[in-house]
Amino acid sequence: MRMNRTILLTILLLIIQTAILPWLIPSAWSDRLLPHMPFVMTVFVALFGGRYKAFFFGLGFGLAEDILFYGELLGTYGFALALVGYLIGLAGERKNHLLSFMLLAVGVGSVVMDTIVYFVYKLFQLTSLTYAFALYWQIVPTLLLHVGFALLLYLPVRKWLAKAGAGEESSAS
Amino acid sequence: MVIFKFMRNKRLFILMIGLILFISLLGFSSGRTGLTWPERFVNDAVGTVQEAFYRPVGAVSEFFRDLGRLSDVYEENEQLRQTVARYTQDKIRYNMIENENKRLQDDLHFTERQKQLYDYRYLIAQVIASSSNPYDKTIKINLGSHDGIKPKMAVTTVDGLVGLVSKVSEFTSTVTPLSELDSTSTDAISIAATVLGREDQSFGIVDYDKENKVLQMSKIDENDQVVEGDLIVTSGLGNVLPKGIIIGTVISNQVGDFGLTHTATLEPAAKFDHLTEVFVVVTSDVDAP
Repeated sequence: MRMNRTILLTILLLIIQTAILPWLIPSAWSDRLLPHMPFVMTVFVALFGGRYKAFFFGLGFGLAEDILFYGELLGTYGFALALVGYLIGLAGERKNHLLSFMLLAVGVGSVVMDTIVYFVYKLFQLTSLTYAFALYWQIVPTLLLHVGFALLLYLPVRKWLAKAGAGEESSAS
Repeated sequence: MVIFKFMRNKRLFILMIGLILFISLLGFSSGRTGLTWPERFVNDAVGTVQEAFYRPVGAVSEFFRDLGRLSDVYEENEQLRQTVARYTQDKIRYNMIENENKRLQDDLHFTERQKQLYDYRYLIAQVIASSSNPYDKTIKINLGSHDGIKPKMAVTTVDGLVGLVSKVSEFTSTVTPLSELDSTSTDAISIAATVLGREDQSFGIVDYDKENKVLQMSKIDENDQVVEGDLIVTSGLGNVLPKGIIIGTVISNQVGDFGLTHTATLEPAAKFDHLTEVFVVVTSDVDAP
């Protein structure tokens, strides 16, 4: 994994996520589709770069996202992304980097991340929504969007960011 | 013995320590108002870049939305012409009443503090980003402590109240929308509200109902006739929010919890997403030394 390029790309994606994507999502869906580009990139780092890199990558970008939009709490996304990155790295250690496994990891990871975030806010009594409502209202639609973004990014990431020799990639430009 | 074996598992041990660290960070960060310099630096640095993206994209998106509404322009123009005619009449009346008011205040020896109590300044701010955290949805604006923004200031659009300033850094600040001011949350801010035109008779407390996407005005007196179509504004009681900012219109009014008071359902006047331009309401700081 070429970490410098990955970090640059993720910063760019984070800015796109916060400044451009809100305009592309229609008003009726704006509180249902809440994509997290650093999460998608964390999954790629976990699959191509291993669990330790994914842990620190997720921690860093999660905290960055927390600080940028500090409303009530700091550290929810830092915690959730670091944990999800580590777990996916652990699960994906012996697997080939098949597309289907990547999609499964993004799907499961998305639900796990949003669930952790929900329960943190529930723990601090900052939300009164029920889990069933949150699941139906934002977690599942966001999961589909995450899978879509992962599909979109899969080829560019494998071509330019996955290091030569790690996996089936032989000569990256 | 088992527990020692358990603890020797390094992975689990680190996870436990991480969990403890994060829970203490979460606890420490909730209810705090100031920001440390790394937080301010990250906010301001990224904020500049976000601004460069958010505003052009917003302009393009608004342009296409306006194209779609081109057919309504004629009707809208007609309405605006009527509003302007009414405005000029009201303006004359307002000037008369204001002069009268000033004269009476002088006659009654109002103190400087009392005179400036309702003298609000509106600072125009551009929205530069919006978060995708579903339980803590904040927006960022391009004004900060440099421009005199402080936490808990009211933020409005031309339509009505949007939210409150939450965290302030040097050149940017985050705004918590009305939709996140949950009445059941631990740090709830109650918005004292009243009906426009009957400010001295009506009173209620407004919060947001997240599952139904409406505002609720609770604790209305049962003798108080709040009816459908009434315009609800902030009352300025409680000294958190300035007076007379539009919150929403009443959809329905029914008997509330315990049957002693009424609870009205409101349609929010302002929308909380796809924002471009907002106003921060600065109250004249008369209590400052």
